[in-house]
Amino acid sequence: MSASGIPVIRIRNTLLSAIQGDLSDQVAEAFQQHLLTRIEATGASGVLLDISALEIVDTYVARVLVDTAKMARLMGARTVLVGMRPEVAATLINMGNGLDGLETALNVDDGLDHLGTLRSG
Amino acid sequence: MRTGTHSDYMRTLKLDSDELASRRRFFGIEEADLDRLRALRPLAERHMASIIEGFYFLLLEHPRTREFLNDPELVERLKGAQKRYFLGLFDGRCDLAYVEDRLRVGFIHERVGLPLKWYLGAYNRYLELTGKALREELGPEATTAAQLSLQKLVFFDTALAVDTYVAAQIDTVARHRAAVEELSTPVIRVFDRVLLLPLVGTIDSARAQSIMETVLRRVSDQEAKVMIIDIAGVAVVDTQVADHLLRATAAVRLLGAATILTGISPQVARTVVELGVDISSMHTRSRLADGIELALSLVGRKINVETRE
Repeated sequence: MSASGIPVIRIRNTLLSAIQGDLSDQVAEAFQQHLLTRIEATGASGVLLDISALEIVDTYVARVLVDTAKMARLMGARTVLVGMRPEVAATLINMGNGLDGLETALNVDDGLDHLGTLRSG
Repeated sequence: MRTGTHSDYMRTLKLDSDELASRRRFFGIEEADLDRLRALRPLAERHMASIIEGFYFLLLEHPRTREFLNDPELVERLKGAQKRYFLGLFDGRCDLAYVEDRLRVGFIHERVGLPLKWYLGAYNRYLELTGKALREELGPEATTAAQLSLQKLVFFDTALAVDTYVAAQIDTVARHRAAVEELSTPVIRVFDRVLLLPLVGTIDSARAQSIMETVLRRVSDQEAKVMIIDIAGVAVVDTQVADHLLRATAAVRLLGAATILTGISPQVARTVVELGVDISSMHTRSRLADGIELALSLVGRKINVETRE
């Protein structure tokens, strides 16, 4: 557990984080810092961000997610966003935000499969 | 399927104490009117039987209203209800309970399919018969005063009846729209985690939005990996339709699933390119069969062609 309160769990060479509740500036920064430190420490090659608990993803949270994925990528880990709710997807698209460049999967299972194909590809 | 009751309409029509007070003010219903009517209750009771008979005489005489009253048992029951309704005018109260009671009457008439015109026409006969009874017993001045008070309450009742009819119509239209919407996005499960949505007809913004919502909900509920959208039956594919499809694809991707667009005719292919719409982010196939094959390959399955000797 980090200062962000968001746990980062390691499963083999993948890190899994379930984001819940509000992402304030400080929480987001602390979370990114913690996640990147864990990537460095574990040498993980994949990250799964589970957002199934998020009922609202606004422009700010969307940017945090995309940025986090970019940062992880720079450190050699591919990120897959999993579990987005249908209402959240519809709202994001209506706002014109397709989270470009961010990989997605329906659930953690699919996310692990997807990471597998990304690693081999 | 009907689910509404007259109490639902109390809510639909927002008939709370504020609305009641506002209506009473507008119709000019004062305590003096209610007191006057309450005082006439004995008179109303004496004349009730003949007024109700005269009322039903009109209804049974007219061929179109007679159709609604072909069952003698029903007529007897209605006469009972009518008596209660009639005496209600002389209860000397005009509160929310009264409103709800009046709403129920309108609701029942609407439900049996009695057109509003017959309802209003019959009400006219009601006033006529009651006026006659008042004139028989009271002096000209008292008759006029009583008629004015009665008229206020009757118009108040009529407004409620009209409201009930309108609320019922709105209800019906809403249910039809829901049914049409449901039919307009028939999502079919063709294989484990593969869904198919055959689109037919015209796609406007409202329908596009509903398509997107349905598609996302179904992908999420059924954990689909692939959504095939077949547009062979779509009348016109222009920039807007293409844009709607691109947005649906982008939203489905956010959930972690892929979209395959099939049923693309040469005409549509030409139009899309000529309009300068970039649909390179979508998987596209001309034939639905090819789309299904691609979908299966995306979920790690394959169709084997068996050659028979």
